Amino acid sequence: MSSAIKQGQWAILLWPYLLTTSIPLDCRDEQGGLSRCPSISQEKLLDRVIQHAELIYRVSEESCSLFEEMFIPFPLQLQRNQAGYPCITKALPIPSSKSEIQQISDKWLLHSVLMLVQSWIEPLVYLQTTLNRYDGVPDMLLNKTKWVSDKLMSLEQGVVVLIKKMLDEGLMTTTYSEQGLFQDDGQPEMLEYVMRDYTLLSCFKKDAHKMEILLKLLKCRQNDIHSCA
Amino acid sequence: MYPGPTSPVNRLHKSVSSVRSSGSRQWTQHGQNTEGETESFCQLKARLCGATMKKVLEVILLLLLLVVTHAKGTRYSPPGKPALTRCRSPEKETFTCWWEPGSDGGLPTTYALYYRKESSDTVFECPDYRTAGENSCFFNKNDTSIWVNYNITVVATNALGRTFSDPVDIDVVYIVKPNPPEQVAVTVMEDKGWPFIRVSWEPPHKADTRSGWITLIYEIRVKLEEENDWEMHLAGQQKMFNIFSLRSGGKYLVQVRCKPDHGYWSEWSPSSYVKVPDYFHREKSVWILITVFCAFIFLILTWLLHMNSRSLKHFLLPPVPGPKIKGFDKQLLKNGKSEEVFSALVATDFPPKSSNYEDLLVEYLEVYIPEEQELMLEKSMDLDVGCLKCEGSASDSDSGRGSCDSHTLLMHKCDGVKEEEERQAKEARRHQKDWKEEASTYAHVDVSPDMSSGRVKTWPSVFSPLPRYTSNQQGSLEMAKQHYLSDSLFPTSSTSSYHTQPGHGTTEAHGPGYWECGLSNKQPHLLHPQAQAQRQLQARSDDNISSIGRKQTPAGLHSPARRSTEYVEVERVNEEDMVLLQPVSGRCGDVEGYPEMPYGEDYSKVKGVDMDNMLLLQREVREETENCDTSSTVTTTQKPAACIHSAMPVEGEMVLGVNGYVDTATVCTPPTY
Repeated sequence: MSSAIKQGQWAILLWPYLLTTSIPLDCRDEQGGLSRCPSISQEKLLDRVIQHAELIYRVSEESCSLFEEMFIPFPLQLQRNQAGYPCITKALPIPSSKSEIQQISDKWLLHSVLMLVQSWIEPLVYLQTTLNRYDGVPDMLLNKTKWVSDKLMSLEQGVVVLIKKMLDEGLMTTTYSEQGLFQDDGQPEMLEYVMRDYTLLSCFKKDAHKMEILLKLLKCRQNDIHSCA
Repeated sequence: MYPGPTSPVNRLHKSVSSVRSSGSRQWTQHGQNTEGETESFCQLKARLCGATMKKVLEVILLLLLLVVTHAKGTRYSPPGKPALTRCRSPEKETFTCWWEPGSDGGLPTTYALYYRKESSDTVFECPDYRTAGENSCFFNKNDTSIWVNYNITVVATNALGRTFSDPVDIDVVYIVKPNPPEQVAVTVMEDKGWPFIRVSWEPPHKADTRSGWITLIYEIRVKLEEENDWEMHLAGQQKMFNIFSLRSGGKYLVQVRCKPDHGYWSEWSPSSYVKVPDYFHREKSVWILITVFCAFIFLILTWLLHMNSRSLKHFLLPPVPGPKIKGFDKQLLKNGKSEEVFSALVATDFPPKSSNYEDLLVEYLEVYIPEEQELMLEKSMDLDVGCLKCEGSASDSDSGRGSCDSHTLLMHKCDGVKEEEERQAKEARRHQKDWKEEASTYAHVDVSPDMSSGRVKTWPSVFSPLPRYTSNQQGSLEMAKQHYLSDSLFPTSSTSSYHTQPGHGTTEAHGPGYWECGLSNKQPHLLHPQAQAQRQLQARSDDNISSIGRKQTPAGLHSPARRSTEYVEVERVNEEDMVLLQPVSGRCGDVEGYPEMPYGEDYSKVKGVDMDNMLLLQREVREETENCDTSSTVTTTQKPAACIHSAMPVEGEMVLGVNGYVDTATVCTPPTY
């Protein structure tokens, strides 16, 4: 009840962000429940979540390449060494090696994934608006970015449901932005802004890969914990 | 440490000094030992010689060394800049970096690799320089972090200084190049008689694909042993692949490689050889059967053709029919005597006097002018200016032409002297139409009473077989369905030869109207000719055309060449027994003054038949346009009726048509006598 009130308050206060608001999932698969969340087995759900993550990674990679081709001068391209500016998610405590990942629990795996997903939802929305103002931006790039943004939101929902199923925790999906990092500065096309957007895309690509790997490892663990080296 | 250039020199100096010192010692010793002076002196001498030799040698050596080292020793410098060439991770858990050393500056140079992770500023040195070989750095699992940017630098150090390479940023995730797939197995299998190759493999053992840590996709390439082109197949994430369409008995090479979804292709696995067994092309056997079958059929057809070649030849190339000319003798032609051949052609009975008028109608449209007529024509021709000579005597052997085209008509082409003749000509031209052979029986009657001469001439538009025919005239009037009579009234003293001429305008009737009249075949007269001339009117059916000759041909003989198949209507017969014809159509058209008769279905109305079997024609009053001259009228009183010679009285059987017209064809029957 209190959470609902809180949610309502936030919704009223930040009505422009309602577009990004998701309805909190409350899947009750025992009774008829909400139609938005039909009952689905955990394995299937995990499979679908993994597929989502794979697709998101692939499309984000394509978007990054496209953006790089069109707007980044060759010397500044990061394709070869893949290093770049620090990502916005560097502060997140994501395990960064296989051994580390093998040591953390399922719960942390899922929470890491959720954290990643939630932290990228808003930057992607921002990226859409900013990409629109580029000169000669191909429609394919805009479409891909939009698609990724949408899919990310549904991935988030899926992970939340998964968490609920696997860990029995009720969580809320992303509703509004707490970060004020991304304002609409205007003045695109200056190299600084171009590089910033490029960094955004690259970092997202990497994080998408992270999500995918984490989820796959999680799946492996579900099947047979011992065979997952 | 490099020994330094001085030591050999020092050594040499030392040796020299030792030689000197020994020498001096020797000398001191020599002073003391006077007893053995002679032996020691010799020994001393020998030693001195040896020492000198040594000394010389050492000096030379020293000099050489100096020269050599001097040459080298001026290029010492700090080491050149090394460069990181590549970093690779085979399984995304460890990675190795290789670098390329620069010049060492003449001094021993050491290399060190330092790295820094993206989130911290701590600089670490490479943990392992050896595992991966020369000039490499190996990062093991504990030191490898994924999704973390490494900033790596290589430093070269020598006695004179150190040089840093350009830093390189890498993320292990993006530098994965797996090992080639392992355990590549190639087997030949069979699918309903068609062999294929099944290739199976395992991922490199280090890559953890089972847990999903790495996802690999594979690629296979195949080629025949003796060829150079590889055939590539992308296999996706599966570990097995089938290759079809193999050459029978060929030896194939198969290789496999893999790649992570973000990374580099591995090297190709070592070649696996496989030999495809010989197999029979089932397709070929079918084709062989078909070929044999076709050949067999072809042979049979050839044989059949050969047997029936003659009848086939007749079927395909029918023999050319021989000529069927009456009186034409092939033998004569073959003999080569053309005069005989052609003379044979000139048949004596030509034109044929057959009673089959239909034949005549179709085949023989000849104009035959008798001698007298010829003369007359000749004379008339002379009178005219510019008239063509008549060649009417010559028979026109062209059976297709109507009389309009025949020679007798041609003479009328000339312009007449008189105005009437001109008008006649114009009329004739106006009414000229194309003749059709089947319609050849239209009679066109242009009567132009020549007022001057008091004669009326009518021109039979059909052929006017002249005088000789008069005996033949019958004319089965029945034959003439389309009948036309041409009445030509010519006063002539001669019997039956007539020819008609285009009539004169004022009194004539032109046009399509035709005069049906029960004119007899013989010599009907409608007019009584002038006193001096006899007029005879002769009517003929189809081919029998009455033509009335005249003594004097009026100047207005015009060629009816342009005559049309139109009829004239006899309007009346004037006092001088001239039939005045009137064009049926009320049109007053192109020719001035000549009213035209409407084409087709106009007839003279028969008023009645009187006692003497004369048809009394009725004058028709027409509305005429202003230009039209009144056409002549036909008097209905007199005249010898056309059917005057008809044996049958007409009145008994006056068959009136629907409109009150008499169809002469039915009324007039050939004379029985």
